[in-house]
Amino acid sequence: MKHLQLPKGFNFALQGRPEEEIDILGRPDRVGLLPEQIAFVKPRLLVRPGDPVRIGSPLIEDKRNPAIKFPSPGGGRVAEINFGPRRVIKEVVIELDEQEDAVTFDALTADQLDQIDRQDLVQRIIDSGLWALLRRLPYRDVAPVDRTPPAILVNLDNKQPFMPAPSLYLEGRTDLFEYGLAVLNKLAQGRVFVGTAASQGALLESLRELVTHVYTGAYPADDPGVLVYRTKRKPADNHAWYIQGQDLLMLAHLLKTGQYATRRVYALGGACVSRPMHLGARLGAPLAQLMDGRLDSGYAGDRRCIQGGVLTGFATPPSSYMGLFETALTLVPEGNVKGAFLGFVRPGFDRPTYSRTFLSRLNRSNLKMDCNKNGGDRACIACFACADVCPVDILVHFTYKAVLADEIEDALRHGLLDCVECGLCSYVCPSKIELMETLKQARAELQKEQI
Amino acid sequence: MKVVKRFFDSNRQHFVEGGRFASLYALFEAIETIFFAPDTVTRTSPNVRDSLDVKRFMTLVIVALLPHYAFGVYNVGYQSHLASGVSTSLLPVILTGLSAVVPMVIVTYVVGLAWEVLFAAVRKHEISEGLFVSCALFPLTLPPTIPLWQVALGISFGVVIGKEIFGGTGRNFLNPALTARAFLYFAYPAQSSGDAIWTLLRDGRSAPVDTFTGATPLSLAASTGSDQTVAGQLAEAGFSNGDLFLGLYPGSIGGTSTLLALAGAAFLVILGIANYRIIVGGMLGVVLTGGMINLLAGPQAAAFLHLNPLHHLTIGGVMFGLAYMATDPVSATHMPGAKWVFGFMIGMLTVVIRVFNPAFPEGVGLAIIFMNVFAPLLDHLEVQLRLRRRIPNI
Repeated sequence: MKHLQLPKGFNFALQGRPEEEIDILGRPDRVGLLPEQIAFVKPRLLVRPGDPVRIGSPLIEDKRNPAIKFPSPGGGRVAEINFGPRRVIKEVVIELDEQEDAVTFDALTADQLDQIDRQDLVQRIIDSGLWALLRRLPYRDVAPVDRTPPAILVNLDNKQPFMPAPSLYLEGRTDLFEYGLAVLNKLAQGRVFVGTAASQGALLESLRELVTHVYTGAYPADDPGVLVYRTKRKPADNHAWYIQGQDLLMLAHLLKTGQYATRRVYALGGACVSRPMHLGARLGAPLAQLMDGRLDSGYAGDRRCIQGGVLTGFATPPSSYMGLFETALTLVPEGNVKGAFLGFVRPGFDRPTYSRTFLSRLNRSNLKMDCNKNGGDRACIACFACADVCPVDILVHFTYKAVLADEIEDALRHGLLDCVECGLCSYVCPSKIELMETLKQARAELQKEQI
Repeated sequence: MKVVKRFFDSNRQHFVEGGRFASLYALFEAIETIFFAPDTVTRTSPNVRDSLDVKRFMTLVIVALLPHYAFGVYNVGYQSHLASGVSTSLLPVILTGLSAVVPMVIVTYVVGLAWEVLFAAVRKHEISEGLFVSCALFPLTLPPTIPLWQVALGISFGVVIGKEIFGGTGRNFLNPALTARAFLYFAYPAQSSGDAIWTLLRDGRSAPVDTFTGATPLSLAASTGSDQTVAGQLAEAGFSNGDLFLGLYPGSIGGTSTLLALAGAAFLVILGIANYRIIVGGMLGVVLTGGMINLLAGPQAAAFLHLNPLHHLTIGGVMFGLAYMATDPVSATHMPGAKWVFGFMIGMLTVVIRVFNPAFPEGVGLAIIFMNVFAPLLDHLEVQLRLRRRIPNI
């Protein structure tokens, strides 16, 4: 077990951290899949409204590689398919029926797993439609089926506000997790890293020798890209694969039992939630079911429903569904109101900040944060906060300028591809420059060129 | 507060697209956001943003400068009353100081803001708060006797040539306030050099009373012969070490007080706005260069060469320059290591200019501008060194 000190990043003290307890929710009427939010995949619809589907029957495939399919999270019939601007597929909604037929596969026992050929295992995962859960750095695209990764990383932590606690979703499922690691070992031919934070004491106790890296550090210490950056020895290490903890359980469950796992643990948090906690619910559950009766009724303004954490997540309308990779729903005030009178010279005892310019630095309690930009757009004043906070030591404002000047070679040398898209640079920027978004788009452009 | 809100809400229509004053929207927006932060929300991830914005960042610099204004008003009045041989009781001194300083500040802000609004209106962006800092710094560097038209001309040059033609705050490579100051120095040497300019004379006097020397400590030091010591000359002129540290001597309006500059530097460093590397590096540069010159100077050398290096920090505006001008994040070096070099070189050049160049009694402004030009080179060197350590990811 290796210990890592991750010196950079930032810990958020925000209101609405989910309690470590789970409410199990019943079966919803409908579940959904959000193809728009699956990064890089170019979805092609395989179903039409009204078609009957089973749990696990493919709903969409990736035009770039039609072997990569995305299974239905529920059984019933396709109720509606909602498109956005330029016919982007926003939602595929399944209306569940009573019996919910499911696609099943042959179970693979642990012994069989030992014997199975790597290529057969890859084929099994592709056929099951869960291959897309494996992602490849640095772009975070679906892992290529025809390559062997330098390593596969599993990170068990919840630094970002507010992701589910790994100790909750792993409780009583250590065997399944171990089986999942055996699968990954087969895929990566032994190079599997499991990282967790030193603060996850109970988890470390229960997993013991399964954990390979223990780190101390602030958000985004739990990002696989940070682990790769801090452990890599040669350029080839940059292309490590990774999988989220709950996704690994889902994959392991399918291979071990031949059945799809349709439930997962969601973290429901944020200042607009009356009792922030964890929820056991269906994959692709409607947001309304998760929020039902748990909203803070004292708050009258607009609120934003963020899937995937307040920094890296995306906003969805409350009528939507949980995305395929998402494990967290955070509700924060929209913040579309004018600031307090002469707010810029107030001491700001309750204003969350990375800088030292507010008295909130002396305030230990969790603070309320909304989606207001907290300032107007300005040119970069070279305050260096973005470079100070960057977990992978990118000189963000230099890189940003290189990207804008189309000096891609320069930007690459600055570590554009090391960027873990944690969003901290955009968060700390006093000029409110969309640093992360700019780098992200530049990375996406590069990714297109490399295919 | 409600009244203010209603005022902005009812007048916004005139400034938005199609209104009578649509071209002045930037001004309206700047004034409104002083009272109420805008209600814009994030459109991309991350969904939340830090509470710090450029407005607060820059305002805190102005807050740090306020004591300099208070002291400057007092010192201008005090020196003026001393030179004119009238009572130095507090109230009249302050009134004299105010009558000299307030018009300069008003002219600076009106002219500077006019340029900024013009450029903001043409370029259709918001007014950047960097202007308010430049306009707060500029009068503090001026002698109290300067004509107001020169103040207007100076800030115009600083804002337009020092900043706007490069694209505005954030894209300038020279400190705008210092650019303005240097412009006046070289364009109007008559009103910018000599001992007489540093003291305002009252009651129509054309010369100070006999007991008032009028020389600044720096010009005293520069003119000290090799058979005397600078410290002795300063004491003879009535400048105790305490006075020098406090800044109670003729000089620019706000730049004389080493004590306040140190306090302001500490304030800005604690808040994370000014970078300590530049300030400490600059002080080290002054002291080490001064000490080096002490060691190298022969017995026949001018007395200035033998000046105790710590004295260099208390006479003239070097601490003021290091605390507020050199730490301007835009025109300084950006990299942490380069900041040490940048600060050190400023300190070194300041002492070199002071001691070896009789034409320029004070060197800190020129040293900072000179190093502003070198800042990108220093940054480039450190960036290249740092990039070499990265494991390539291409």
